[in-house]
Amino acid sequence: MTEQNVTLSVLNVSKRFGDFSAVEDLSFDVRAGRVFGFLGPNGAGKTTTIRMIVGITVPDEGSIELFGQKISPALQDRIGYLPEERGLYKKMKIVDQLRYFAALKGVSAADTERKIDFWLDRMQLGDWKKKKTSDLSKGMQQKVQFISTVLHDPDLLILDEPFSGLDPINVEFLMDVISEFKTQDKTIIFSTHLMETAEKLCNDILLINKARKVVSGSLRQVKESYGRNLIALRATGSESVLSDPSIVSKTVVHADETIVHLIDGTDPQILLRRLIDGGAEISKFEKVEASLNDIFIDEIRGVKVEK
Amino acid sequence: MKKFLAVVKHEYRKVVLKWSFLIGTLLLPFLAACFAVVPAIIFSLKGEPTRIVIVDPTGKIEPRLRANLSSEKMEARAHRAAEESMKDFTPSQEEQIKRSAEQFGQEFEFISYETKGSLTNDIRSDLNSMIVNGMADAYLMIPEDIDSGNSTFEFRSRKAGDFVMNESFQEALNDAVRSQRLADANISEDKLKDLTHPVNLDSKGIDEKGAERDSGGTFIASFVIGLMIYITLAIYGQAIMGAVVEEKETRIAEILFSSARPFELMMGKLVGVGLAGLTQLGIWVASAAVIVSVIALQTDLSEVVGTLPSISPLMIVYFLVFFLLGFFIYASIFALIGSMVTTVQEGGQFAFPPVMLMLIGFYFSFAVVRDPNSSLSFWVSIAPFFAPITMPVRILSETPPFWQIGLSFIVNAVAIAGLIWLASRVYRVGMLMYGKRATIPEVWKWIRQA
Repeated sequence: MTEQNVTLSVLNVSKRFGDFSAVEDLSFDVRAGRVFGFLGPNGAGKTTTIRMIVGITVPDEGSIELFGQKISPALQDRIGYLPEERGLYKKMKIVDQLRYFAALKGVSAADTERKIDFWLDRMQLGDWKKKKTSDLSKGMQQKVQFISTVLHDPDLLILDEPFSGLDPINVEFLMDVISEFKTQDKTIIFSTHLMETAEKLCNDILLINKARKVVSGSLRQVKESYGRNLIALRATGSESVLSDPSIVSKTVVHADETIVHLIDGTDPQILLRRLIDGGAEISKFEKVEASLNDIFIDEIRGVKVEK
Repeated sequence: MKKFLAVVKHEYRKVVLKWSFLIGTLLLPFLAACFAVVPAIIFSLKGEPTRIVIVDPTGKIEPRLRANLSSEKMEARAHRAAEESMKDFTPSQEEQIKRSAEQFGQEFEFISYETKGSLTNDIRSDLNSMIVNGMADAYLMIPEDIDSGNSTFEFRSRKAGDFVMNESFQEALNDAVRSQRLADANISEDKLKDLTHPVNLDSKGIDEKGAERDSGGTFIASFVIGLMIYITLAIYGQAIMGAVVEEKETRIAEILFSSARPFELMMGKLVGVGLAGLTQLGIWVASAAVIVSVIALQTDLSEVVGTLPSISPLMIVYFLVFFLLGFFIYASIFALIGSMVTTVQEGGQFAFPPVMLMLIGFYFSFAVVRDPNSSLSFWVSIAPFFAPITMPVRILSETPPFWQIGLSFIVNAVAIAGLIWLASRVYRVGMLMYGKRATIPEVWKWIRQA
C-alpha cells in the first residue's frame, strides 16, 4: 500500500457537455496488484471517466497520468478495455475479429495466433474459432469480448460490468482470471452496479454520484467507518424500544431480521438491556458491518448512516 | 501507420471476401457478355430450309422470286444493306460482312404444286392441309392482278414468328413484284436504281486533332462509363455507411476508439473500401477489354465495336482516378451520415441528398455527351460532386485540354480534404453518441467545438 505502485492517477479532472457537468473535479489513485471498484449509479459519470482514462475523450480540466506518463495514444496499447455495451462484428469469424483487435493493439502477427489459440482454449471456445458471431450464444460472445480485452496482455485492465449475462460457472471462471492478473501486479479497474460482486472482488472502492466523488478508500476502511453501530436483531416484543428516537435512528426490516441503526455513540449494550427489560424475546442479536449495498444506497440517497 | 494499415486491410477483406462482391464482380461482365454475344449467336444459327409452295396464276412473279431467294442474291442484299449503313470498309470488315450475309441468309426449298384450274378456296384449303400434314412449311398465293393496290399476297407459314425469314422473304417478294411492274411499264431497272439512289449523309464527329470519329459508339460507351461510375459510387458509398452504422450500433466503436485514433479509423475505412471498389472496377475494365477484343475477332458485332471510341491506357488511368475522387467525396459524406444516425434505415433517409447529387451528375453526363465543349460541360466537369461522373464521360467523348482535367482534379481533391475534415469531426463525436439520432444543430456544434 505504498505510494510507489500507483499506476493510474486522476487529478482534478472535469468534463462538461454544454451546460451538463458529467465529471466534476474528480481525483483518485489506482494501485498495481489491486482491484479497484469504480461504483456509482447510472449517469454518475463512470463511463465518461473511463473514456477519458482510455483516451477516447479528453478532460476539459485536470490531468490523467498512467504509468507515470500523461495519457497518450501510445499508452492505449497497454490498456485492455471491456466496455459495458460491447459488440462484435456479426458476420465475421471469431478468429478474424480477434486478429483485428490484436492488430489494433499493436500485437505482432506471430504472437497473435499463439495468443488467440491459448485464450480460446482456456475459455473453452477452441471449436468456435472459425464460427461467426451470430452462431455463438450470448455467454460465448461475452467470453470472446473478454479475450479481445486481454489478448495484448495489458497492464491496466478496465472492466465495465464484466459479469452481466454470464452464468455462475463463467462468473467464477472470470473471477479466477482477474485474480491471476492481480497476482501479476497488474492494475484492474472494475466498474459495476452489483455491490455483492464488488464486495467479493475489490480491494479499493470509489463511489461517485452526480459527477462527484462520494466515498473512497480501501473496502475495509469504508466498511469500518460505516459499520460500528449496526445491530442485526431477531426478537418479538421489541417494537416500543426500537421506536425510541433517543437511541435508535432507523430500522430496516428484512425477512428474518431487522437491521437497527443506533444513534452515534450509543452503546449496543444499552439497547440489549432495554430490550430485556422491556420483556422482548431475543433469538438473534449481532453487531454487523454495513454491506456495500447499504452504503451505496444510503450515500446515493444522501441519507448518511450515522457515524 | 501500422494501425492505419491494419484498418485498411480489415476493411478491404471485409468487402472483398463477401459473396456479394464475388457475385457482383463476376456477374456484371458475364451479363454484359451475354447481352453482347448471345443474340448474335442465336440469330446466326441457321434454321432448316423452308419448304415453300408458290401459287402464281400470272406465272411472272414466281421465277423472279425464286431468283431473289437464291442464296447468292440473299448475300448480295445483306451486303448492300451493310454498305448503306457503313462506308469505307477495311478488307477485314468486308470479310466479316460476307460471313454475316451467309449466316443471315435463309435457305428455301421450292415445292411444285399443280393448281389444275381449281378454285382459289379449294387451293387454299389444300395448301393448309399440306402445312398441317408437314409436307410444306409455307405457301404464298399471288393474286392475279399484281398491279392493283388492293390485291393481297397471301403468305401463310408454320414459322410465322421467324421475323428474320419473314423480313428477307418480304423483301425478295417486293423486289420481284416491283421489277415485274417496272418491266410491265417498260422502265429499265438499272435506270430506276440510278434515279432513286439514296443520298450519302456522312455523319462523323471531328476531334481536337482533326481526326474523324463515329458518334453512335461514343454515346453508348460514354453512357456505360457514366452509369458504371454512378452505380459503383452508390454501392460503395452505402457500404461505407453500413459499416459505420454497424460499428456504432454494436458499440464496437468504443473498443476501436480506445485502440486507435478516430481519424486513422475513418481514413482506414475509406481507403480499404475504396481499394475494394478499385479492385472491382479493375476486374470489370480488364474483362471489358477482353470481351471487346473477343467480339472484334469473332462475331459480326464487330461493326459496333468498330465504331467504339478508342480507349487509351491513359483514359483508363483518368477513369480510375476520377472514380477514386468520387469515391472519397461520397464516402466521406456517407461516413458522416453513418456516424450521425443510429440505424441503417435512419441512414437511408439521410442518404437522399448525396444520392441526389450523384444522380444529377449522371444526368449531366448526357448533356456532356451531346456537347462536350459547351460551357455547361466545362463547368459540370470541374464542379465537385459532379466531376467524378461527368469528367470521365467528357474525356471519353471529347478529351478536353489537360489543364481542365488537372483543374477538375485539384478542385475535387480540395473538396475531399474539406469533406474528410468535416466527416472526421462528426465521426469522432457521433460514434459515441447512442440512443438518438443527432440533429443538424448538434452536428454543427460538434464540428465547431471538436
